[in-house]
Parts: sequence; C-alpha cells; structure tokens
Amino acid sequence: MKRNNKICTLILTGLLLAAGFLSLPGTTLAQEEVASSIMRYKQYEVSTGYYEEYEAKPQGQRPFVDIPGVRKGIFPYSQTAAGVRNPSRLADSHQGIKFYNRRRCEDCHVEQTKDLHMVRANLTCRQCHGKEPIASINHYFSPMNPIRRHAYVCSKCHEGASASYAGYVIHEPNPSLAGTLQTFPVLFYAFWIMIAITVGTFVVFLPHTILWGLRELLFRKGDTHK
Amino acid sequence: MSTKKKRIKRFTVTQRLFHTLLMLSFMLLGATGLSRLYVNTGWGKWLAGLFGGYESALVVHKYAGFFMICGFIIHALYLLTKINWNNFPKSIVGPDSLIPRGKDITDFFSHIGWFIGFRELPRFDRWGYWEKFDYWAVFWGMLVIGVTGMMMAFPLVATQYMPGWGLNVALWVHRIEAFLAMGHIFIIHFFIAHLRRHNFPMDRTMFEGSADLEAVKSEKPSWIDRLKSNGELEGVLVSDAGLQQKAAFFVFGHAMVAVGLFLLIGALVNWHSISW
Repeated sequence: MKRNNKICTLILTGLLLAAGFLSLPGTTLAQEEVASSIMRYKQYEVSTGYYEEYEAKPQGQRPFVDIPGVRKGIFPYSQTAAGVRNPSRLADSHQGIKFYNRRRCEDCHVEQTKDLHMVRANLTCRQCHGKEPIASINHYFSPMNPIRRHAYVCSKCHEGASASYAGYVIHEPNPSLAGTLQTFPVLFYAFWIMIAITVGTFVVFLPHTILWGLRELLFRKGDTHK
Repeated sequence: MSTKKKRIKRFTVTQRLFHTLLMLSFMLLGATGLSRLYVNTGWGKWLAGLFGGYESALVVHKYAGFFMICGFIIHALYLLTKINWNNFPKSIVGPDSLIPRGKDITDFFSHIGWFIGFRELPRFDRWGYWEKFDYWAVFWGMLVIGVTGMMMAFPLVATQYMPGWGLNVALWVHRIEAFLAMGHIFIIHFFIAHLRRHNFPMDRTMFEGSADLEAVKSEKPSWIDRLKSNGELEGVLVSDAGLQQKAAFFVFGHAMVAVGLFLLIGALVNWHSISW
C-alpha cells in the first residue's frame, strides 16, 4: 500500500508538472496561422508597437571618421564621411558596385547563404533584405535597422518577435573558426568547451571500454587475478 | 540460505520506472533530433518521415522533451524525499551513495591496471565508478540539454531574459551535448551493460531490479562483505523472475540496443553531409 501511495504521488506530481508545461505559451512554429496578426506582438512588445511615430536616428554615429592611413588636420571631422565611409549606413548599400545588376547576392555573400534560415527554411535573401535598392542595415529608414527589424522583418514569420529576439545572429559564423573569437566570442567558447568535454569523455572512456572488453574476452568471470 | 533466492535486490520499482521512461524519451528525442539534423540526407528524410516530416518531428521532439524534463524534476523531488535529512550531509556520502568519493578515483586506475594485467581486480562496493559516472553524466546532461531545449522551444519568453544571440549558443550547446549523450549511451553504456563477455547477452538488473548473486560476488565483493557483516544479506535476496518476464526484458532491452545502433550507424555514415 505504501509503495502504491508513493507511486500515486509521483504520477500526480508528473501530471501537475505536465499541466504546468501545457499552460506555457505555445511553442513557436514559423508560418503558423493565427487569427490576429498583431495580437501576440502587442503582448510581448514593450514599446507602443507603432514605429512610424518615431523614426529614430540610430545610435553610434561617429562624427570623427578617419580614412585608414590618411590623416587630414588635427580632427578628422566630416559630416558626411560617416555615411560614405561606413557602408552600413547607406540608402543603397551596393552603390558604385560595377555590373551590380548582373550579379547575384551569393556571388559576394557566400558565407551568408550557409545558415539555417537559408539551408533549412529555404528563405531567399530578398525575403528579409527586401527589393532594390537594398538599404544598409543601419540606414535610418531601413526595415533592417535594429530599432525596427524585429517588427518589420522577423515578425513576418516569427509572430511576436521582440527587439531582443531579433538579436539572434541569422548569419551565424562557423563556431569552430578562429575568426569567430572576434565576431562572436561566446559562441566560440561555448562550442570549444562543449567539444572539449565530449572529446575528453570519449578519449577516456573509449579505450577504457575497449580494454575492459578485451580483458573479459580473455578471462572467465570470477577471475580477479592480475 | 534459501536455494531459490539467487539474486540480490538492487533497484526499486520506482527506480526501474524512471530508467524505462528515460530510455523511451531518450530514444524518441534522439530519433527526432537526428531526423532534423540529417534532413538533407536520405536517411534523415526517411527518419523524419516516421514522425510525419521535418515540422512534425520537431513537435514530437518538443513534447518528448517536456516529458523528459517532467521526469527529471520528479526524479529530483524523489531524491529529496530519499535523503535522510536528520543526519545530513553525512547521510548522503558513503558506499551506498552515488556521490563520488576518493575510492572511485583509485578504483578507476586499479581497474585499468587489471585490464592490462598489472593489478588485481579492485574490490568494488555497491556502485562502480562507471555507474556513478553514467548517473551524473545523464543528470548534468539533462540539465544542459533541457535548459537549452526550453530556451529554443520558447524563444520569445527566453529572449525576454537574455539577448537573442543566446539562442545561437543554445543550439550549439544542445547539439554537441546530444552527440555526447548519444555517443556515450550507444557505445559505452550499451557495451558495458550488454556486450562485454561477463554480461553478454544482457544485464537484466535494471529491468528485473535484482542482479545475479554470483556475478555480484565476483564484481562487487565489498558490497557483499558489508551486507554479510551487517547481517543484511538475507534480507535483500530475491528469487529470479519468470521466463515470460525475462523474455520481455530481453526483447525490450535488445530492441533499444537495435534502435540505438541504427541511430549511431546512420549518424556516422551520413556525418559528412550534415548541413549544420
């Protein structure tokens, strides 16, 4: 009876936990159908959700812009150089590229075609980056600007996407490469720490298991001698 | 000593139930997870087809994951009820506990010494160091894989508490931990429990709840000596299971090994064509 009570308690706890999980918000599936297109978005977004009201200037605009290796005057000040020299702030990020209209995105952006959104979800570049001219990520009015990217781009598929959610690195660098230490150090360290744990486990336990198997193959059960 | 009672009690019904539910959810998670990672290979497509395709394999994966996490939480609560709190923390150390101790390290090296013929077989107590490693590896593994899995299953909630790039990290940690877990279970755990000569074709202990007394006497003599000197040995002896039960354990255990090896081989031969 005592054992039955214990098992009943365990099963009851299990059911309560399962009910708890089921009461969590639904798991996100891309492209799922919903009755309202903004309902969940409003639910999570802390701002008003109406971005037309404040087309804010992005932060981090540096007034002092150097041309590498070239020095003019004491202060390399330029009102326009910030835009010209930083290709991530242009209205047309591909301006001045020769034979642009005969090229394909992946001719230059090879690495950007290898991530999950491209390989698994079969998205094309234009589905997020939009039609020509493709504005730079940090252009004031670009839909890709981080101040509105989540609302204008991500939530086309991921309903309810917040600014933080949009911080997911779509064009994820290969975590094993040394360059990732500069571009995404947390991913680099997480990857190599996990690899070290995995390799370490197998380096110890594979030979251990093989030796154990060989020893038992050659000696009978109960043989404890050298 | 009764002649019928040739086996020694090792696991309770609850503990065996935990192991069985863990096995089933682990296999389901492994199959659905691999079917998604390998979906651009023929093998992966076939595997995903068993669960209704790429999208629904993820649904199965998520619910199997919730099930496993529920099991983990219940197991943690179960542990709390099993601890003798009056004598804590002394009560959770000692030879009957799964908490690692100094002797496990010396046992490990002596055991290797025995493999290569330099030492005598160490006198193991109730839990061998490899059994403790298996337990704690799964314990920590479920925490890591469960937390990262929950982060990805509820990305909108998760990114309220961390930046979105945490999901990139979560996916990689989840993947590598999954390979570690499957590799360890399908190669090392299966070999030790099923394929090494002294256990071949199968160690029924985890299913039947009891182990063969003669085998334990030679493998874990310290435990038997301790029970004898405390006069507790008679109390933990039980008789063997019926033939039908044994057959059921045999079929179930080997079915799981077959599934595991199928996943392992499929994953290894298709390794080069994964699109990460």
